[in-house]
Amino acid sequence: MKVIDIKNLTKIYNESEVKVKAVDGISLSFEQGEFAAIVGPSGSGKTTLLNLIGGLDKPTQGEISVDGTDIGGLNSSQLIDFRLRNIGFVFQAYNLIPVLTAKENVEFIMELQGKKRIERDERSIELLSAVGLGERVNARPSKLSGGQQQRVAVARALASKPKFILADEPTANLDSKSTETLLNIMEQLNKEENITFIFSTHDQRVVKKARRVITVEDGRVVSDEKRN
Amino acid sequence: MRKTFIMAWRNIWRNKRRTLITVASIFFAVFFAVIMRSFQLGSYDHMIHQAIESFSGYIQIQNKDFLDDPTLDNTIPYDQNLLSKVNTVDNIKIAVPRVESFALASTGIQSKGVLVTGIDPEKEKLLSDPENRIVKYRFTPEIVAKILAKTNLPKKQLGLLKSNQNKSFSSLSRISLDLALDKKLENTLFPIINELASFNGNYLTSHDDGVLLSDRLSKYLKANVGDTIVLMGAGYHGTTAANVFPVRGIVQILSPELDNKLVYMTLENSQEFFSLENRITSLNINLDDIDDMLETHSKIKEAIQSDLVTVKTWEEFNPTMKQQIEGDSVGGVIFIGILYFIVLFGIIGTVLMMIAERKRELGVMVAIGMSKMKLTFVLIIEMLFLGFIGMITGLGASAPLIILGNRNPLKMTGEMAKMYEDMGFDPVMPLAWFDQYFFWQGAIIMIMVLIACYLPLRRVRKMKVISALRA
Repeated sequence: MKVIDIKNLTKIYNESEVKVKAVDGISLSFEQGEFAAIVGPSGSGKTTLLNLIGGLDKPTQGEISVDGTDIGGLNSSQLIDFRLRNIGFVFQAYNLIPVLTAKENVEFIMELQGKKRIERDERSIELLSAVGLGERVNARPSKLSGGQQQRVAVARALASKPKFILADEPTANLDSKSTETLLNIMEQLNKEENITFIFSTHDQRVVKKARRVITVEDGRVVSDEKRN
Repeated sequence: MRKTFIMAWRNIWRNKRRTLITVASIFFAVFFAVIMRSFQLGSYDHMIHQAIESFSGYIQIQNKDFLDDPTLDNTIPYDQNLLSKVNTVDNIKIAVPRVESFALASTGIQSKGVLVTGIDPEKEKLLSDPENRIVKYRFTPEIVAKILAKTNLPKKQLGLLKSNQNKSFSSLSRISLDLALDKKLENTLFPIINELASFNGNYLTSHDDGVLLSDRLSKYLKANVGDTIVLMGAGYHGTTAANVFPVRGIVQILSPELDNKLVYMTLENSQEFFSLENRITSLNINLDDIDDMLETHSKIKEAIQSDLVTVKTWEEFNPTMKQQIEGDSVGGVIFIGILYFIVLFGIIGTVLMMIAERKRELGVMVAIGMSKMKLTFVLIIEMLFLGFIGMITGLGASAPLIILGNRNPLKMTGEMAKMYEDMGFDPVMPLAWFDQYFFWQGAIIMIMVLIACYLPLRRVRKMKVISALRA
């Protein structure tokens, strides 16, 4: 079952008088439960591709369909609501809300979704336990290590029960041990809960774990390798 | 919703120094605005109390043409019918009849145009209270010389005594103020003043045929208690008004303008003198509750229902004072406006900094699904928290001062005190009691915070998530 269907996607940035084609006519699709990595050198367009899939940026041309909805046709506030209900984000710099505790950060999205307090409480603790932070639920981000913060970010991304999770270089700021722990957690969630993960990365440790590796260069897909 | 408030509260304490500076600027703006406005409004209340409540009354009933043409031909009949109609209205403290007209006064040595004011001696005690303004002491050059011969005053009091030569006083307390006497000097000097400078004078009795002269006028006419003066003028419908009146007392009027020309006589005497029979120029009314002046004014109008008579509030028959107060008030409001304007820019700066510092964080919130409307709401709550803390502390700090300054008005001394007295006011500066002005300062701050939020929050609404995430 296709979760994401991308057709002839193009993104051109008009930086001063120079036009930059960050994504150049990409067509791709992702099935439910994929654990895919988009790789490529810096400036190849992988983050732009991820931003377009996540509805954070508008394509210049082409179509992105998520679960049958053409997100290019949504206006700004519809897109925000669409992201809230369908997409989980994990950023390179964790990007947790600094004034909220780990539990509150995870609850935050559910609160935006209008979930009841009991449900929020149960799910946030369950998710934090799943990422190995059951003991640190009341710690603020500043009291957590980089690896721990990224695990909270994963729990936050999962909180809204999204159709897929987009992770932009999630291990870039982590040491080997934290990377290993995080990847294992995400792999486990992918296998057990059938959650779709799409990473942009040039971390070989992530690439090794991925079951699909899409290589992007100069805004084009140069290879799309599926592994077992 | 609860989380929104928690987030907003925690956010404002992320940068404690900036929060404290912003709160302090709001605190001082509210504090100074409240105290300044309280002093201003307190002084207006005091002026109104002194000039209106203690002389003209808040409401006057006059002939409909009297304000434009204040002659005796435009008088009204004073009878039980008028009084009983007026007395049906609630909120009336006292209604005092007056006859006011001009005449020429002469003592044979000097003559001068004077304002003859016919009063009911008993009722007038509740309005202008001339009895308490009767001159009891006078420092003539001879008396000053005698006092100096009898005492050994310090240099300062010596100078003050000489500078007060030829002045009259209605009380020893005013002498004490003018000569800057302490208790010890009062004990030494007062018996001597009582012995040498006492001045005989009496208030008018109900059917008195004498007059009271204002202090400056009596000096000009060189008339003293026991002397007689001749008054000549035009009476009702062009009749001649002329008579001789014995001087019963000298009365000190605080307004220099009035002190140069005022002659008090009984209402009965003035009606006879001006051939007015039972007519008066105005019925001057004081109220129990000044806040209900306009309502009372309407009710009196309704009760009288006469085409010949008009009812005027003090703002109508004394527009000069009203304009003075309004002019001064506008000045004060402009000053406070400037103060708030400066603070407004401080608040705008704070919001802009808050947004600039947290651009990435705000971008993440929108990226993960927070609507810009909710995000804007969080930021507004943060600013309202800052405004609220500043406002509450500002109002809280000013409240005890208002209570203290209202119960114990600031007493002025020296030249400032004399200036106030010469203008006809007690030398005190009371603070106005809590009223709308107090709560308005709080409301203005909160409105300002909302205004300050507008431009920066517009930025949030127009924020592009992708560029915010790159910040």
